[in-house]
Amino acid sequence: MTTRAEFMARIRAELGKTRGLPPATPARRPARPRVEAEAIRAELAERWPEALERFRHELEKVGGVFYRVATLAEVVPVVAGIARERAARRLVSWHAAELGGDLGPALTAQGLEPVAMPPGEVASAAERQRLRELVAAAELGLTGVDLAIAETGTLVLSSGAGRPRSTSLLPPYHIALFDRTALVESLAQAGVFLELWHADGAPGPRGAVISFITGPSRTADIELTLTRGVHGPKEVHAIFVEAPIRG
Amino acid sequence: MSQADLSIPFRRRAGRAMEDAFLQEALTIATTKFIGLRREAFDAFPEGEGLRDRAREIKEATLQHLDRYLEQLIGNVERFGGRVHFATTAAEARAVILEIGRRAGARMAVKSKSMATEEIHLNEALEEAGIVPVETDLGEYIIQLAHERPSHIIAPAIHKTKGQIADLFGKELKRTVPADPEALTQLARGELREKFLQADLGITGANFAVADTGTVVLVTNEGNGRMVTSLPRVHVAVMGVEKVVPSMSDLMVFLAILAKSATGQKLSVYTTLVQGPRRAGELEGPEEFHLVLLDNGRVDQLAGPLREALYCLRCGACLNVCPVYRQIGGHAYGHTYPGPIGILLTAMLNGPASVKELAHASSLCGACADACPVRIDIPRMLIELRRQVDEKRIAPWIERVVFESFGWLLARPLLYGLAGRIARVLQRPFVRDGAIRSLPLFGDWTRTRDLPAVASRTFRERWNELERETPR
Ligand code: SF4
Repeated sequence: MTTRAEFMARIRAELGKTRGLPPATPARRPARPRVEAEAIRAELAERWPEALERFRHELEKVGGVFYRVATLAEVVPVVAGIARERAARRLVSWHAAELGGDLGPALTAQGLEPVAMPPGEVASAAERQRLRELVAAAELGLTGVDLAIAETGTLVLSSGAGRPRSTSLLPPYHIALFDRTALVESLAQAGVFLELWHADGAPGPRGAVISFITGPSRTADIELTLTRGVHGPKEVHAIFVEAPIRG
Repeated sequence: MSQADLSIPFRRRAGRAMEDAFLQEALTIATTKFIGLRREAFDAFPEGEGLRDRAREIKEATLQHLDRYLEQLIGNVERFGGRVHFATTAAEARAVILEIGRRAGARMAVKSKSMATEEIHLNEALEEAGIVPVETDLGEYIIQLAHERPSHIIAPAIHKTKGQIADLFGKELKRTVPADPEALTQLARGELREKFLQADLGITGANFAVADTGTVVLVTNEGNGRMVTSLPRVHVAVMGVEKVVPSMSDLMVFLAILAKSATGQKLSVYTTLVQGPRRAGELEGPEEFHLVLLDNGRVDQLAGPLREALYCLRCGACLNVCPVYRQIGGHAYGHTYPGPIGILLTAMLNGPASVKELAHASSLCGACADACPVRIDIPRMLIELRRQVDEKRIAPWIERVVFESFGWLLARPLLYGLAGRIARVLQRPFVRDGAIRSLPLFGDWTRTRDLPAVASRTFRERWNELERETPR
């Protein structure tokens, strides 16, 4: 088997043979990602309505559904409405602390069967298995959002404690809540936040996966016919909450 | 049509593809559609042209310091609890992955679409080792059930009709299902969902890997990339060394142009950034994460004639616009990577001798270079390959003789003039309506083309007359 040293030595040897290559530099990186991220937020404090409108437009173009409500409490009837139209009841969600509030009792009152994910990891394998089956059987997955990218209609979700990956993946209907603080205009701006999240080099509180979600799961593999819901959700609903979700 | 048999000459493989009426129609529809979608996406994205230049420069900058970026990537993957493996050859890559599977006690492996694992022929090796490989991209799943190979990088099963797929599902899955894409997709969803939940091993490729963070990036539309990296206990990502990019800022430049080039989407549905195994506090995610860095002919090209092919993002845009690909489809090329870039990648993987026929399967029209998001000059490298093939004396002898003699003649103006006059006489029995329609020894060439006859007065002759007539 090739060792790291052998492998890298060969690469260095070949690189040593190159001659006359064009000058080239990688992309410019934010020197101080925190400052740039704050600058983006500050600009968006004024421009957010345009960005939100663009987000709605792009999300709808990729087959997503957009809603706008005033407060977190108003999310409940929207979710209940989505569930009712689809004759769905079983809902799994991020943990209340990650979602920004405990919607469980209100959703139950609307006839749903909500189950919030635990706030952290679960030691018992049997319990993990039970939770996985629960998520796999659920019809609705309710999550928060870390970034909403207007340019592409994309939701960015980081995994982590209380926010399992499968909640936005296994149920056929994904419902995501976001507020102004998540909104960015472009992929380039999202890049600044990605740089920021990784700036300290430490794992931090995040999980190992960041997912960009641009509309419902789709394929055109059979005679180029667009079909939704191959492996991931067949519907994506994004609910914009006017009042900041986290106080 | 199944995978081409390489013992059949390329010309016959291509001929067969051209007689396949359904394939012809499917190819025309698919490639035309992709071309249109790509054009619309870039028309609506004025900054796209500038980003293509940026992306190209980033690739170049990364390759120039590939050692540094790979060291950084390795260090970061390990820091987050992943393991990195080094494979110089395809055989070594297979051995590494089988060993990981064996230690995990895996009996089934779910795979998301990956050209790198196609390239190393991983599925056969897994099967032999008693690990059932399951392709989970719908197109790949279909062709796996049919025991075929992908015919397009982006749409692997474009050569099959929905009727054929319904029959296939009926036979292989023992389920009757109407020939309707929606119903077929739902059936596959159900079948594959079970497999995702059972499999111990998840195998993916990588569209990119970010050196600065140790992140492997997967781009899919169906969500299988997310499934494979979330549900099984062990995740293995196989990646050619050239896929590394320096930072998240670089990644964003590529994401902005990749999907637009491939399918005309602004972004593919899922872009999944994976930084090692499950983290403390996470309910799910793999316990083990392995990254297999693959050389397999790439490193030789860092200072080689095919260097620029290492920029390739595998978007498939060059296939769609290629007049040869549009006629013959992916299988006729006979190797993992089809289309114009496929010829170069095949030469990279298997050496120039493996493409002595394919090197000529291009009209050198340049459409590929125009469409390529990172502006790879594919025609230049194809010409270079032809020259190599020729120098190594692996081109057909008749072609070598003709071109060598012609080159010799071109360098001698007097003899060239004389040869023209002789040819004018010798061609007489073959000329019909001002063109040579067939020529002994060159039947293959003249079967589909005409050779212009030597003119009764050549340009040089006329030029000389004019010189004489024009008073100074
Ligand atoms: S060569 Fe360029 S156009 Fe062709 S697949 Fe690679 S990146 Fe895409």
